[in-house]
Amino acid sequence: MSASDRPAASAVALERLPPRERFGCKGPRAADWLAAHGILTPSRANTWTVSGEGDSELLVARLGAAEFFVESAADGRRRSHTDSRADAAVDAAVDAAVDGVVDAAVDGVVDGVVTAAARKLATHPAGVYPVLREDWCLALSGAACDDVLVQVCNLQFAALDPAERPVIMTLMVGVAVLVVPQAAADGTRCYRIWCDPTFGVYLSETLGAIVLESGGKLTGVSV
Amino acid sequence: MMRRLEPHPGEWLDRSARLHFRFEGRDYTGFAGDTISSALAAAGVPYLGRSFKYHRARSIWSFANHDSNVLFQVDGVPNVRGDVTPLRDAMQIHAINTFGGLTHDKARILGRFAPWLPVGFYYKAFHSKRWFPRWERMFRSLTGLGTVKLDAAREPTPKRYGFCDVLVIGAGPTGLAAADEAARLGARVALVEESFRIGGSARGRLAVASEEQQSLQSLIDKVQNSPAIDVLPATFAAGYYADHWVALDEGVRLTKMRARAVVFATGVIEQPAVFRNNDLPGVMAASGALRLLSRYRVAPGSRVVIVAANLEAYAACLELHAHGIAVAAIVDLRPEGEDDATARTCAALGVRIVPAHAPYEAVSGSDGRVRALDIAPLDAGGRVDARRRQRLDCDCVLTSIGWAPAAQLLLQAGATLRFDSGLQQFVPDTLPPGLFAAGRLNGIYEFPERCADGRYAGAAAAAHAGFGAVAHARVPRTTRRPSHAFPIIDHPQAQNFVDFDEDLQVKDLENAVQEGFDSSELLKRFSTVGMGPSQGKHSNMNALRILARARGLPIEALGLTTARPMYHPVPMKLLAGRGFEVLRRTPLDAEHAALGAVWMPAGHWRRPEYYARSGETRADSIAAEVRAVRERVGLIDVGTLGKIEIYGPQAGEFLDRVYAGNFARLRVGMTRYGLMLDESGVIVDDGVVARLREDAYYFTTTTSGAATVFRELLRLNALWGLDCALVNVTGHRAAVNFAGPASRALLQDLTDVDLGEAAFPYLGVREGRVAGATARLLRVGFVGEWGYEIHVAASAAAGVWRALLAAGSDQGLRPFGVEAQRALRLEKGHLIVGQDTDGLTDPIQANALWAVDTQKPFFIGQRSLKILERRPPRQVLTGIEILDATRMPKECHLIIDGGAIRGRVTSIVRSQTLGRTIGLAMLAPELAAPGTALTIRIEAGAMLAARVVPTPFYDPKNTRQKVQAAAALSSVPLAVSP
Repeated sequence: MSASDRPAASAVALERLPPRERFGCKGPRAADWLAAHGILTPSRANTWTVSGEGDSELLVARLGAAEFFVESAADGRRRSHTDSRADAAVDAAVDAAVDGVVDAAVDGVVDGVVTAAARKLATHPAGVYPVLREDWCLALSGAACDDVLVQVCNLQFAALDPAERPVIMTLMVGVAVLVVPQAAADGTRCYRIWCDPTFGVYLSETLGAIVLESGGKLTGVSV
Repeated sequence: MMRRLEPHPGEWLDRSARLHFRFEGRDYTGFAGDTISSALAAAGVPYLGRSFKYHRARSIWSFANHDSNVLFQVDGVPNVRGDVTPLRDAMQIHAINTFGGLTHDKARILGRFAPWLPVGFYYKAFHSKRWFPRWERMFRSLTGLGTVKLDAAREPTPKRYGFCDVLVIGAGPTGLAAADEAARLGARVALVEESFRIGGSARGRLAVASEEQQSLQSLIDKVQNSPAIDVLPATFAAGYYADHWVALDEGVRLTKMRARAVVFATGVIEQPAVFRNNDLPGVMAASGALRLLSRYRVAPGSRVVIVAANLEAYAACLELHAHGIAVAAIVDLRPEGEDDATARTCAALGVRIVPAHAPYEAVSGSDGRVRALDIAPLDAGGRVDARRRQRLDCDCVLTSIGWAPAAQLLLQAGATLRFDSGLQQFVPDTLPPGLFAAGRLNGIYEFPERCADGRYAGAAAAAHAGFGAVAHARVPRTTRRPSHAFPIIDHPQAQNFVDFDEDLQVKDLENAVQEGFDSSELLKRFSTVGMGPSQGKHSNMNALRILARARGLPIEALGLTTARPMYHPVPMKLLAGRGFEVLRRTPLDAEHAALGAVWMPAGHWRRPEYYARSGETRADSIAAEVRAVRERVGLIDVGTLGKIEIYGPQAGEFLDRVYAGNFARLRVGMTRYGLMLDESGVIVDDGVVARLREDAYYFTTTTSGAATVFRELLRLNALWGLDCALVNVTGHRAAVNFAGPASRALLQDLTDVDLGEAAFPYLGVREGRVAGATARLLRVGFVGEWGYEIHVAASAAAGVWRALLAAGSDQGLRPFGVEAQRALRLEKGHLIVGQDTDGLTDPIQANALWAVDTQKPFFIGQRSLKILERRPPRQVLTGIEILDATRMPKECHLIIDGGAIRGRVTSIVRSQTLGRTIGLAMLAPELAAPGTALTIRIEAGAMLAARVVPTPFYDPKNTRQKVQAAAALSSVPLAVSP
């Protein structure tokens, strides 16, 4: 986890992370396909790895045997200037209609490793199937973050060894989540938590209330 | 009379902090560290509560958080347990279950009617159907414990999960030793203790040998200082669940503790001697009196008589003596008395010891408390010679006649117990893997042996959890008899109570057995023994002894009952926890809020019921929304639909198996309605299946069924092993339905997809861009108008929504909510699975056989459907029209024919479009012919006339999906406000 991912030092802190370029894929040839596109994949199921470096750094999680979740380490999305399919007439109509509020940076109209791979995935290679990932992403950190997690999930996160790079798929307050525990520089834990975006507000508010009750800090999360 | 003694180093009180509180309208003081019960006892309050049935005066009996006698209403909170609730300053405390206060309780007169209120009298006296409501009201007012305040503020409490290698329940010497040993071997241990402090009842007692006290203190220090042991005082294990899940009530929260192994060091519970007036205030369990004395420095009386049947009674005598409390006599039920140094010390102190005698009757004084005990010789057959009774003056009677194992958790966990006649106690017989019992629960009573047994169990538990190995020898059980075989004394005038909670006397249980309720389970249910707040902790063992005597059987021939979790009462607020309530918001939630959405729940989702506008009523808004769709264009968020993609060479075959229709032959670029059945042929879900490519489909499910359907499809895919993969994009994709005659023209300006009728026919699916976002467009007609479901990535939804609104802003577009959609779909006669169908509805009944391909080789439910086709349907989904324009039935109102129920209304709406009230109903087939007159029973039994009509009600020839009609309509002048 980069320094920007971590909320300020506190007993516990919850932060909503900004959207990042990400995509998913699954299928019997997904691992080979990712490898062919230069994306390093974990060899073991339910673990994660880092592929690339710098602006090309990716978090690659293997979900079960044949599904992968790929997310750029860089924050934010960049507006595409090369969207060949963008129809000028449509753009004009949209702009006129909504006063330019439509975010055309959605659904993969960005550059970068993730987007490039996602575009290729959209060409339907055999045995590789796209998985739309519009996840809501949170970071829970601080010395007391395990005390928060035991109130919302029956999995013993404290027993996990971040050095083994585990990927956890479980239920948290009734919401299916993907969790990656990471060790912070100060020795405390930090958890990246992804969920279906339609549960995002609920999960954020629920976790946020417990974090506040624990004297923690919220960033980008309102309760 | 009870009174507070001088300070002592081992007491649990902070005498520097005096607390003021009020009980039954009178002011009292106590100390920080007091419990409610100890403070009231120290204040000399003669009795603290009234019994449940006869409203007899009661006071502390066990002082162990078991008694119904000491439940209070505290600051408005009912049934607060006085034995374990710390006293707070300014507490307002009241007795419960009284009429006119504790002292002047009017209901105490009920005691005089006891002879006419035998066990089970209510079963025999109050069964008249006619009078039952009256009896019910009477009993509801007479019975019950505390008063629930319905306006009480909600107190959300945390609920947490805990994890440990070894959970040790009970922190007396046995549990301490077990925890210490398990931790020594490397296990992470959680040690749970119900009391505020660990160490057990003997901690701090003056008469306990100093080497035992030192050994105990050393163990306590070791455990408290161990980083591997998490000590949880004031916590009790309330329930055991599979895989070593134990519910722990920590007072302020509930913890679901998961352990790899569990050591039960729960000890034993002192049992009452049963004799006449054994419930008088001042009659107490000796163990309870000693806790009150050593922890809170409350003398149970000034002149004590001890009823004995074990060594512990004599130890109690020495403890009382050490605190300066006179013991008038020890009345030993056993003919041989006690031959132990402890007993000899008692005798040497001048305590009168009366062997082979039993308490015959406790005598009350003017204050309602015990003032004497009549005793009588007891022969070997358990009979007392009342003629030779003698009276012992006293102000306190302590009983120490036996114990019952605190084994309910162990039984919940699947252990079996056997009766050890030598000990006169049930002991563990077989234990499931990972469970270990030790100490007095295990029939081991002496201090060194309890510690050794604890160490054995701790080591065994640690080994089970993967730490170390057992290097200890098993400890043999105690050879003395700590419990009397039959501490129950008959009395011709009864009032010898077996169950203090329910005021059950010996004769009540004997009568129940005589009436045929002669097993432990039947006896419990008929007499209610063990069903009160103490859950049989003081009564089950004696009831079992009475049952055994009545049937002439040994106790081991009778079964034990197992209390279901929670074994001990747990406040509802702890069970509720924080009350997590999942709420899903579609990606367009903020857009709806900005447009004035009035929300309604739809499963876990919140959806706009309608959009409120200034100057419009709810009905106005809904009607306008319907009108906009019918005449111009409307926009609804349908993102709550389940959305699933399936890829792979065998995706079509998979869908053919799970849906009743044919999808392997569905053309690319087209959609088809899908009906999902279960194995019995019942409709469980429906949706639209779109074929995107040869090996790729996209399909929707019902809002409520999405998660269940996806889980089931994953299971089936794993089972069948077909070459395909499923992806659930329900929350990651947004969807809107843009519908109405003007929809095509407006959308065409925002998309690169050719919307011409030939290029994009009805039921087609296309991929392209809408307002700059990649989109899937499905031409479906759920609301009966030309329209498009537009599916985009969640992050693109708001932009597309705003673009569509803007495009239609001068064309009469209105966003519409669920209510308008319900009306629109009903006008079209479309069913909603789960509303118009129930758990037995098959496609024949739902008139949906058109969606079934019976020629396919296989689909789930096919075999059942073939059988069902050979039978006449039980009911048929039918269109109805209400003939009375002024009244409307509600969904689920019944259709009556010939005085019998012949159907029910499943959907109903007042259609503005059609100018009549229409609906769907499940009807008996013989009533389903168009034109059949129906009668619907509505509120207050009124009848409403209706008739069967064909569906669809609106546009039966589907002309609205034809381009000419749509074009014509979209050009008419605006009739709705934008």
